[in-house]
Amino acid sequence: MYRVRAATTLVYLSPMIIGVGLISFYPILYNVFISATNQNLYHFRRYSFIGLTNYQSLLKTFDADFFIVLGKTFLFVAICIPLFLGVGMLAALALNHPAVRFKAFWRVALIVPWAVPSYITALVWKFFFNGEFGTLNQLYRVVAGPQAGLPWLTDPNWAFASIVLANLWMSYPFFMVVILGALQSIPSELYEAAAVDGAGAWRKFWRITLPLLRPAILPATVLSAILTFNTLNTAYLITTGGPFESAAKPGATEFVMVYAFREAFQLFNFGYIAAFAVVIFVMLFGVTLGSLRFSGLVREEGR
Amino acid sequence: MRILARFGVPALLYVFLSAMVIFALFPAFFVVQAAFRPGQSLYTLTLSLWPDHPTLDNFTYIFTQIPFPSWLRNSLGVSVGTMVAGLIGSATGAYALSRFRFAGKQMTLILLLAIQAFPSVLALIPIYLILKTIGLVGSPFGLVLAYMSVALVFCTWNLKGYFDTIPRELDEAALIDGCSVTQAFWRIILPLSIPALAVTALLMFLTAWNEWVMASVLLLDENTYTVPVGLWGLQNDYRVPWGYFAAASLIVSIPVMALFLGLQRYFRAGLTVGGVKG
Repeated sequence: MYRVRAATTLVYLSPMIIGVGLISFYPILYNVFISATNQNLYHFRRYSFIGLTNYQSLLKTFDADFFIVLGKTFLFVAICIPLFLGVGMLAALALNHPAVRFKAFWRVALIVPWAVPSYITALVWKFFFNGEFGTLNQLYRVVAGPQAGLPWLTDPNWAFASIVLANLWMSYPFFMVVILGALQSIPSELYEAAAVDGAGAWRKFWRITLPLLRPAILPATVLSAILTFNTLNTAYLITTGGPFESAAKPGATEFVMVYAFREAFQLFNFGYIAAFAVVIFVMLFGVTLGSLRFSGLVREEGR
Repeated sequence: MRILARFGVPALLYVFLSAMVIFALFPAFFVVQAAFRPGQSLYTLTLSLWPDHPTLDNFTYIFTQIPFPSWLRNSLGVSVGTMVAGLIGSATGAYALSRFRFAGKQMTLILLLAIQAFPSVLALIPIYLILKTIGLVGSPFGLVLAYMSVALVFCTWNLKGYFDTIPRELDEAALIDGCSVTQAFWRIILPLSIPALAVTALLMFLTAWNEWVMASVLLLDENTYTVPVGLWGLQNDYRVPWGYFAAASLIVSIPVMALFLGLQRYFRAGLTVGGVKG
């Protein structure tokens, strides 16, 4: 770390600072500004200031859209993360087992879903879930008879589960790769010593493997939880947030980002959704800061 | 019990791994077979895993009858633009954040972190309104600007993380020997960072190449579409055979998947944060 003249610092920093300031930071400030207006389709150019009214209507009652959407999204994250983690962990443990041969082949084959562009993942799964021509119902008819069919995208609960399934497909490889990397760094002497002391496979897993995986799993879980909270492509492209029971209530898979996207670019409620964005952002930034402080990263950055 | 340990465990492992591989690869296999399937033959109630009469018609169609070649060109232009501008705009700033001591540094880092925590879908709302005011909605240049809002912060953060791992003694020794700060940056830091610069650039390219949300809002005319927006429109129409979408998906995904799989051994903590899945 060295001291340089202020002018030099400025020259080095300015491209990034000016760029980030104009293209990233200014829009966020502008978003806060819009959140205090009634800008929408009818007041697009001639909007007026309405103070905190948008925030009030956002948080007014416990059955407001905000809480419904947020609750759905939390439930979605709470179901997804243990599934991603569990499947990723099983796959990593299997890949790391000394009895398995052709490891490179299995590893690459299992990472493939991560490499597929997420909008293509969504559009392909959308076709799988189709009630008539969808592959899943074609398979189901083989077992259950020619008239059968499961309501993959038409029933609210099934639709929710379908989005979980599509997200599981594209998200488990991340955990698998992280856990596999951590597994390979555990010294084998630990297991040998435990074996000498008479520990079985189960005990070794709970007492050695899991505690030593924790430092790798925790940040991966936080990162994946934030990404899952921000799910848009899979939900919007597969169900557009539906099925909808009534036009006035959020749909069964209308998670936070789907709701924001629909309110902004289909209903054009810019002022209202800008306020929504501010509240969601404060929550996300809180989680990010908290997890960084937790892992000691912020202090290290400050050196 | 010993027999189970000798043969049972490996057998169970292979059964599990095979089931996982079928789960992982079936969608990819499905797209491949659909791409070679003629016309409406995918729309049946019964399961059929391979077309009776495979054909290349879908590929000919997307290259001659719809603006797919323009979509490819547009995607390439937008992605390369984002990648180059992101890297050039962030490299010196990342160096300053890694090596210089100056007032307000902690604040800058926290602000960058805050911007990165702002989800791109939410940032799209003000960006759309601003681009609308200055008349750039519908233009690929506006889309590159929108992508830059993510790219600059991402590249700065990544490169700073990498510069931090280069031993400080190297450039400090050069400075003591009379090297200028600029020389230390160009002659020592940048050459040592070529792998990190390449990985960051390619991640940026992939992110832009695979981005659907912003492009779907900011592009209006079919001829300016990037591939994701074009493909979305293609499969949204039930009169259009799904085979066209499948064929186009294959062409678009295979190179970037190869790139991604080639790159993934470079993904360490610092290089995955904030990127890749959009």
